[in-house]
Amino acid sequence: MVTSKARSAVRRSVLFVAALGLVAVCWEVYKAVGPEAGGDIFGWRLIPKTNDRVMPHTWEMFAEMTRPAIGRGDQLVWQALLGYSWFTFQMSVAGLAVGTAIGVLLAVLMARFRIVERGLLPYVVLSQTIPLIALAPQVTAIRGSLDWPQWTSAVVLAAFLSFFPITVSTLRGLQAAPAASLELMASYAAGWWTTLRKLRFPAAIPYMVPGLKLAATAAVIGVIVTEITLGGLRGVGYATIDYSQKVTSQPASVYAAVFAAAALGLVMFAMIVGCETYVMRNRPQEERG
Amino acid sequence: MIDQPAVNVRGASMVFNAGTPGQVDALSEVEATVDRGEFVSLIGPSGCGKSTLLRLIANLIEPTSGSVEVNGKSAEQACADQDYGMAFQQSGLFDWRSVAKNIELPLELKGWDKAKRAARSQEMLDLVKLPDRGAHMPWQLSGGQQQRIAIARALASHPPLLLMDEPFGALDEMTREHMQAELLQICEVTNTTVVFVTHSIPEAVYLSDRVMIMSVSPGRIADVIDVGLGKNRDEGTRENDSFYKKITEVREALRGVELGDGARGIEDR
Repeated sequence: MVTSKARSAVRRSVLFVAALGLVAVCWEVYKAVGPEAGGDIFGWRLIPKTNDRVMPHTWEMFAEMTRPAIGRGDQLVWQALLGYSWFTFQMSVAGLAVGTAIGVLLAVLMARFRIVERGLLPYVVLSQTIPLIALAPQVTAIRGSLDWPQWTSAVVLAAFLSFFPITVSTLRGLQAAPAASLELMASYAAGWWTTLRKLRFPAAIPYMVPGLKLAATAAVIGVIVTEITLGGLRGVGYATIDYSQKVTSQPASVYAAVFAAAALGLVMFAMIVGCETYVMRNRPQEERG
Repeated sequence: MIDQPAVNVRGASMVFNAGTPGQVDALSEVEATVDRGEFVSLIGPSGCGKSTLLRLIANLIEPTSGSVEVNGKSAEQACADQDYGMAFQQSGLFDWRSVAKNIELPLELKGWDKAKRAARSQEMLDLVKLPDRGAHMPWQLSGGQQQRIAIARALASHPPLLLMDEPFGALDEMTREHMQAELLQICEVTNTTVVFVTHSIPEAVYLSDRVMIMSVSPGRIADVIDVGLGKNRDEGTRENDSFYKKITEVREALRGVELGDGARGIEDR
């Protein structure tokens, strides 16, 4: 069983790399055969240009990584990106932690008091329709008035994006405990908190894992958008903006930043999968993701 | 105190959705007594309220009127004191707990310390003849084994009363007969009183000292049949003439109940 699990893990990684390679091949093939100046289909401008500014070679994107990073001393681009990523990673993890704490708390409150669910859930849903960019200046103003360091803005906004999937999935999970199990706890004269601890919460975990995966990537997006919107925070979001300003001279550089952001999202995701594997190790196969 | 019956139901009625068009008179003026050490089955057509009666005794629901006493206490007090264990058709074991930890759940809630809990769960595993399954996860066991663990859990804190709602309903016939024999043995050893809800006439006759026949609309106990097959029942009992006679007696009583009330043998669960 362990070997089949390991085999499937290897197969998945191979597939992942193969898919990435396939995208690169498609990119290069199109670049080779596509029209340099772009083209029209039925009068619509649908064929992108294939020149080096619009579509740099894939190897250029990687070569970019090993060039010296401008304004970062003798650091190379990948080293600079690693530094930026580390900052964004820390902010994202902090944001995810805060978001998870708030999300679980809200879900527990909503599961406990029907009236809180009725009153609060619409606002929880509504909160996610607010554009983060509109919220960022407000958060910064409040943060400034509290004299908190600047990076807390990123944490708050990451938490703001990530609490939602946690709340929804946890609430669903807390309500998923089978009626027979609830009756069993009632027959033990167990109170609501005991039932929460011994039954509802453990029963909710398989539901929370997908929510946590969404929340992890949402947290990264939250931090990146904050960096882009507010400035002053030196993370991957900042790098994306900074490098995209060099798009005329070094068109491949912006992709280097994009790769860093994508890799960061993957690391966060992998972290959650790691947690999942650990907490779900004793669960029946069909409950595992 | 010693003279108090294990279960004493007096004039208990249960009405769901009272005053609405969907009003259901699940139980009407039910009188029932179960003595200590007795094995009593509740049998009847679907919708006769046998599960409702069991839930009243377990204090999972409160009667609309009338009273329920367990060991001379109110059902509520008996629940708080953990005077009974329960087993359902679904074993209801928690997937995330090992078999031993599942058995220990009621002990944990009672505040037993770890060593004492572990000792008792091993004792219970021995009792249900699965001594080496403690570290397994419930989903690694067969349906019959899961049900045995559920019984072990129900009996872990040594309750004097066991309430069972079709615990063997989901098992195949052979496993079922096997489990019935084992349940009798376990109750003999632990001197447990049992109230047992079932759909199966042979099951009720094989297990019980008394079979209570319930009727539908209104749900009430229409007849009580003394089985009297004696304490030493075994596989041979199932072949006896007296066993068949009792089955016939229960079947005829049930038929009378169904005809008398407009032949409502509808399966609604």
